Amino acid sequence: MTVTLPVELPADDAELADAVASWLRQNLPADWLAAVEAGDRATVERIRADRDRAAAWFDVLGEAGLATPTWPREHGGLGLTADRASIVSEQLVRYSAERPNQDFVGLALAGPTILEWGTDEQKAARLPALARGRELWCQLFSEPGAGSDLAALSTRAVQQEDGNWLVNGQKVWNSYAHLADFGLLMTRTDPAAPKHRGITYFLLDMRTPGVEPRPLKQMTGDAEFNETFLTDVVIPDSARLGPVNQGWAVAITTLMQERNGLSGRPAVGPGASDALVARAVATGAWRDPLLRDRLVSAFVEERSLQMTTIRSFVAAGSGAPTAEGSIRKLAHATLSEKLGVLGTELEPDGAIAWDAHERPAAVEQFLAMKTYSIAGGTSEIQRNIIAERVLGLPKDPDPERHTPFQERSRG
Amino acid sequence: MSRVDFLFMCRWGPLSDVRLTPPSHSLTLCPVYAEQRDPEFGWTGEHRQLRETVRGLLAERAPVSRSRELAESGARHDAALYSALAEQVGLQGLALPERFGGYGGTLLDLAIVAEEMGRVLYGGPFFPTVALAAPALMASADEEACAEYLPRIADGSVTATLAVVEGSGVWSPDDVLTVADAGGRLTGAKFPVLDGVDADLLVVAARGPEGISLYVVEGGAEGLQRSALEILDGTRRMGRVTFDATPARRIGAPGHGWAAVTQAREVASVLMAAEQVGAMAACVELTAEYARTRRQFGRLIGSFQGVKHRLADMAVRLEMSRSAAYWAAWQDPGTEEFAFGAGTARSFCSEACLQTGQDTIQLHGGIGFTWEHDAHLYLRRARADMTVLGTPAQVRAELETTVLAAAAELEPTVATHSIEVPA
Repeated sequence: MTVTLPVELPADDAELADAVASWLRQNLPADWLAAVEAGDRATVERIRADRDRAAAWFDVLGEAGLATPTWPREHGGLGLTADRASIVSEQLVRYSAERPNQDFVGLALAGPTILEWGTDEQKAARLPALARGRELWCQLFSEPGAGSDLAALSTRAVQQEDGNWLVNGQKVWNSYAHLADFGLLMTRTDPAAPKHRGITYFLLDMRTPGVEPRPLKQMTGDAEFNETFLTDVVIPDSARLGPVNQGWAVAITTLMQERNGLSGRPAVGPGASDALVARAVATGAWRDPLLRDRLVSAFVEERSLQMTTIRSFVAAGSGAPTAEGSIRKLAHATLSEKLGVLGTELEPDGAIAWDAHERPAAVEQFLAMKTYSIAGGTSEIQRNIIAERVLGLPKDPDPERHTPFQERSRG
Repeated sequence: MSRVDFLFMCRWGPLSDVRLTPPSHSLTLCPVYAEQRDPEFGWTGEHRQLRETVRGLLAERAPVSRSRELAESGARHDAALYSALAEQVGLQGLALPERFGGYGGTLLDLAIVAEEMGRVLYGGPFFPTVALAAPALMASADEEACAEYLPRIADGSVTATLAVVEGSGVWSPDDVLTVADAGGRLTGAKFPVLDGVDADLLVVAARGPEGISLYVVEGGAEGLQRSALEILDGTRRMGRVTFDATPARRIGAPGHGWAAVTQAREVASVLMAAEQVGAMAACVELTAEYARTRRQFGRLIGSFQGVKHRLADMAVRLEMSRSAAYWAAWQDPGTEEFAFGAGTARSFCSEACLQTGQDTIQLHGGIGFTWEHDAHLYLRRARADMTVLGTPAQVRAELETTVLAAAAELEPTVATHSIEVPA
């Protein structure tokens, strides 16, 4: 067990960055640091892929509070604002010392939701483990019949005489559910109430009997998603997060986590369009004036989006998420599709046929380009949010908003 | 006390007769505008106060109905308001150095003013004078000429414009065919020139013995002919200007005219982008208001997703444009970042503004297609703006070098790869 030095937190932003960098240089394993400083990506990736070594490092990082800088000190954080936390995160990324993407649900969604709604016991049991990267989390919200209309979920939880809950249902689009230790679970507990008012939220131990994730193959050919079947799953009442039938409010906390300080400060700099331009130069497509115009156009659009991200970062100093996030998400989705198609046009033949094991990156991007216009709320839902919350237009009619859940139409 | 301090203290009521005497001593020596030190998008109370003041003033003296009235009557502008803007608020000299009679503000301050002007389609000589001619004079680095002309621009007694294009619409040195002889006499034609018929001073790019230089032609000069053109956007008149051995004063170093034109064009691009943001904001507000009040089929049309979604897309375009315009306004003129920001803002905002004009008419339906409705005024302005400083496509072609440099940073092979683009 490494003895972790406390990290200093100077009030000045530049000094904070220096303090974190200096802490990282003192604490990162020597070969890791050397590879980072030499710019040797391959070695860094190899070390990070070694589960034992990564686990040891995340323990050190968590002990110092650096993995969860916005969390209160008593729960393993540093009590920093989202802005100041971003300075920390920026340094972690610079030294390739940050937690991997698959920890997103745990760090960015589960942690803050538990901080807001959890009992002292739940906080004590889960937060230190989350800060040290000892538990992987997944989200069990969407269902085959509840996508954009999430509140229509029908996975049923019935409280038994002993106080435990018996859960049956099916969830879908659950990233990493097959590897996860815990899941954020929304269930229907009062079918007689309108759909938003009969939901209860649980922290589900994914090892509980009856929890069965099955990989779901995406259109890209990958399978990072799962569908998760819940059959007679028994959950103790102590795993309930927030009051019975108020799970919708708890879920809003999860869904509105936007500025978490886990990514660096936004900047205007290299993006996906730069990579396409580089590719266009390599394939010779850059010589085509029509493609050049479309590439520069995409470049301009991506930079304008980055500028918008900086603007909202500066404006939302409080860290409160806003409907403006929908503006950026919609713009990102549009750009992603534009770039996905454009990429394949830079090497028209290579994008439809290739030698074994040499699938071009453009094909991956093309097949993944629809991700952002669907995941995390479709572009149509984002447009509704912008129209209603930014422009003050009437809310989309939901004829069943006040209908008891069990009496609503199905389809 | 800076102009902004003054504005901060003096809320706009009825036009006050306070007259400020700019400090006579020179405090700063800056190439074009004062350096903007605050981090991007860090709005200050002074910025907000400036915006409120200008908005209040324009709402009172120059609402869009006034812009329409002037355009329909073919008037150049409201001369009394122009003088008031200079004498009592100091907007013409807001961003000019104090040694030239200005208030030493930043380009960002001026962008805020431009946005508010764009909102109400305020036109006339303000943009050609303040956004084109003044920056060109500053960029010429000709202290003597600046000292002679800029104080008069700042106090509103002189209007000016910049004459560059000659019918091709392309801002390129190759397209400058107007010539200057050894004695500084110009021969050639410039069109369309913003406020070309009436501007007191014409700053002209012409080809002299040492290459392209800037020349100042006085309105009454011999051999100068000016004729009005029919115009798409009635709020900013344009003319054809011809020179026939017209006497002119060369400003700045000989042969350095195009560099000054480029710098002035970058400044104008940022200010025009800010104007476009204002125009788009007005369109989005107008359309959202209509969607919140117009009923069909027993419901507000704003409850139909066909309407909501188009409006949401308009809001996205507006916010992205605002970011691009103000990111650029926050960079220091003369830097690579500024040039890049100006091009980005120009390309993005011009196209966004045109689409916003189209969508505004679309969502208003039949009423939006009438002469009486303001929507077509915004569409006309948007289309005219697209060409005035070079088309967005030209701007993107100019950005190619920057884009390649950015890609090379990501993928070093780009730099070594031979990139030959056929002309």
